[in-house]
Amino acid sequence: MNTVPDDMERRLRETLDTLASGVHPARDAYRTARGDWLRRERRRRIVLALLVAVVFTVAVLIGLWVLNQAPAGTGAIFTEPTSSPYPAGHG
Amino acid sequence: MRRTEPRPQPALTATDGDVDREAGVARLFDLHYPSMLRLAALLGADDPENVVAEAYYQIYRKWRKMRDPGSAEAYLRSTICNLTRMRIRHLQVVRRNIEALLPESVASPEDSVLLHDDQRALVGILRELPARQREALVLRYWQGLKEAEIAAAMGISPGSVKTHAARGMAALTQRMEARR
Repeated sequence: MNTVPDDMERRLRETLDTLASGVHPARDAYRTARGDWLRRERRRRIVLALLVAVVFTVAVLIGLWVLNQAPAGTGAIFTEPTSSPYPAGHG
Repeated sequence: MRRTEPRPQPALTATDGDVDREAGVARLFDLHYPSMLRLAALLGADDPENVVAEAYYQIYRKWRKMRDPGSAEAYLRSTICNLTRMRIRHLQVVRRNIEALLPESVASPEDSVLLHDDQRALVGILRELPARQREALVLRYWQGLKEAEIAAAMGISPGSVKTHAARGMAALTQRMEARR
């Protein structure tokens, strides 16, 4: 930066100041911006709630479908015929 | 910024957190909106109002996560730099693809202020600089920020800030000299 003439820095500062002085905020800027924030925030929350509801519903439906696919008969663990450890008539 | 219009009150059903957020963002708006708007315009945004409104919306959303409200100004500045850079890049791509459909020129701040020929030329050259160099120059020579603050705003190292500012200034000087 030392090789840059001070004059150039001064001119740049003046130009930027002049340029900035031509930018004026609108009188109702806050009201407009706030309305936009609130609208977007409401939309974001609605979309989020819908997304959660859809994911929950899909998860429940998948769970019900999986349960519905289970065999209706007795489970594999109970396939052996039940037998008493004691001989008949013993007790 | 002084305004006489009544400030909209938060809804009665709002929680304390919402009220705090509304008040905090409104205070930030009062304090920094004009300077942020000028920053976006100087960085070359074609719609500075939208860029700044988007930056305030980001801070509105993340208000509860902010630990230090004092850092809000730096956060706003950084967001505006990023959004403006993205906007300019988007416009460049659009112009490249559908140049014929775009208007000849976009209204810019220099249209509404009286600039000397030299100043107008300087603004023209500044607009042609790469976005990073323009950001470094504007933050340094208009906002008067230190290198560390510029680095935080641009999301780069202080060394890179020096490089961008030096290159930008050298390009400005060279092209202004060539113009004479």
